[in-house]
Amino acid sequence: MFNLFSASNVFYLIDKLIRFINSIFFLILIIGLTFALILSPPDYLQGDSVRIMYVHVPSAWIGLACYSLIGLLSILSFIFKIKNFFLINKSIAPIGLMFTSLAVITGALWGQPTWGTWWAWDARLTSMLALMIFYLLFILSQKIIKNENLSNKVSAIIAIFGLINIPIIKYSVNWWATLHQPASIKFIGSSTIHSSMLLPLMLMLLVLLLYCALIFLMKYKTEIIKIKKKNIKRL
Amino acid sequence: MILNLISMNGYGFYIWLSFGLTILACAALYYRTYKTLKKYEKEFALEIKELSNIERKKILKESKIANQVLASYSQSI
Repeated sequence: MFNLFSASNVFYLIDKLIRFINSIFFLILIIGLTFALILSPPDYLQGDSVRIMYVHVPSAWIGLACYSLIGLLSILSFIFKIKNFFLINKSIAPIGLMFTSLAVITGALWGQPTWGTWWAWDARLTSMLALMIFYLLFILSQKIIKNENLSNKVSAIIAIFGLINIPIIKYSVNWWATLHQPASIKFIGSSTIHSSMLLPLMLMLLVLLLYCALIFLMKYKTEIIKIKKKNIKRL
Repeated sequence: MILNLISMNGYGFYIWLSFGLTILACAALYYRTYKTLKKYEKEFALEIKELSNIERKKILKESKIANQVLASYSQSI
């Protein structure tokens, strides 16, 4: 059982997974884009601009999920001293930063035709910008601090501190009067989104999640090779 | 039909820019990640090749990862 999770088996599994994702990715991407740009209906109020939702919402979800995972693994790495969690965090952070930035940019592109402004300093938008800054601090701390142990500790502290921002982002639309609309999709309770729009949204989420998995696996593989390269004489 | 798809009832600029930027950013991150992976695979493979015959044989016998990286590098050249 434990042999299954040995470094060489994990490495072999990563290769297999990368090949599998590569083989199905473009097919799912084309299906997702067809639904998002052609088959899904325009909104009765926002018209065709609602299609921006199919990249904006999954990007924001992924940005939030990546940061929550980084924060959680940082806490666990402090408790259990598992070095592997630092490697996972290092591999996830650039993905999270990119999708958070995309959520902010596509949000501005959606805001201009809908609200008449690219940006407003309201609670949701500002807290998403704060998330971007936490990602930047996390990545910069790993790039700037040369001592590996110290950089791992500093980045983990930044990640844990930034966790405060996650519930603020989630509940900002309920706690304050914001330009941003409240959530249409709820995990608990009934969602207010029609199935003809939910399907393309879920398809685009699947596409972007597969992409995230692909990038994560490639980055994680690179980190393993870096370690093996450093210890080549001890192999 | 095609003109409608491009104009998206006047929202084309915002929609195509949103999708275009997302695809461009994803492609750029993929390219950068792929290049970095291949760079480290190459460096690792070259370091193994530079070892003495005995050391190389020992590493290839004991480390599956070294074997896989070497195989992957050989496929890519």
